[in-house]
Amino acid sequence: MVLLDNSNFILRLEKIANAAKKDSSFTLTFKRYDGHDKPVPRAGRPPLPKPETYMCLMRAQSKSQKISTVVRQEDVPTMMGMYSQFMKSKMDGLKRVKKVKSKAKATKG
Amino acid sequence: MVFVKNWEDFEIAAENMYMANPQNCRYTMKYVHSKGHILLKMTDNVKCVQYKAENMPDLKKIEKITSNLVGHMASKE
Repeated sequence: MVLLDNSNFILRLEKIANAAKKDSSFTLTFKRYDGHDKPVPRAGRPPLPKPETYMCLMRAQSKSQKISTVVRQEDVPTMMGMYSQFMKSKMDGLKRVKKVKSKAKATKG
Repeated sequence: MVFVKNWEDFEIAAENMYMANPQNCRYTMKYVHSKGHILLKMTDNVKCVQYKAENMPDLKKIEKITSNLVGHMASKE
């Protein structure tokens, strides 16, 4: 598991997506992340401090390749912008549905 | 686990599940190019809702729900 920053994550993700295009797949996971890298203490021990702000942990996996990134609150708009670009360019194997022209328009033209 | 057929149902169920238990929920998306579909899954380790997207217009909706969820995940509360 490699922890990358946001833009490098997208770059690596694009590579993974290209590699997975032919006969494989890739998975992305989104999860809330509170910044703690320790397990929750047992009952009776002092609990971990409550985080001031939460983050979003994004992980991607294809075959044995795994990458991850942490998205902070202030980075969400830029990250989602990059991510939607990625989705549009790489997740393009879905069926296209032809728009049915309304009959009124067809008769006019 | 069964797939939810209707997008609106999935969207509501997934958001409700996340809101009920944000700390344990994860949202997964799997893209299989050769089959031309995206599998979406939201689970809190107890229950699980899934949706299979096969048509292009679904991509827009997925984009919307994903950015909504990420917005919820990376927030103050």
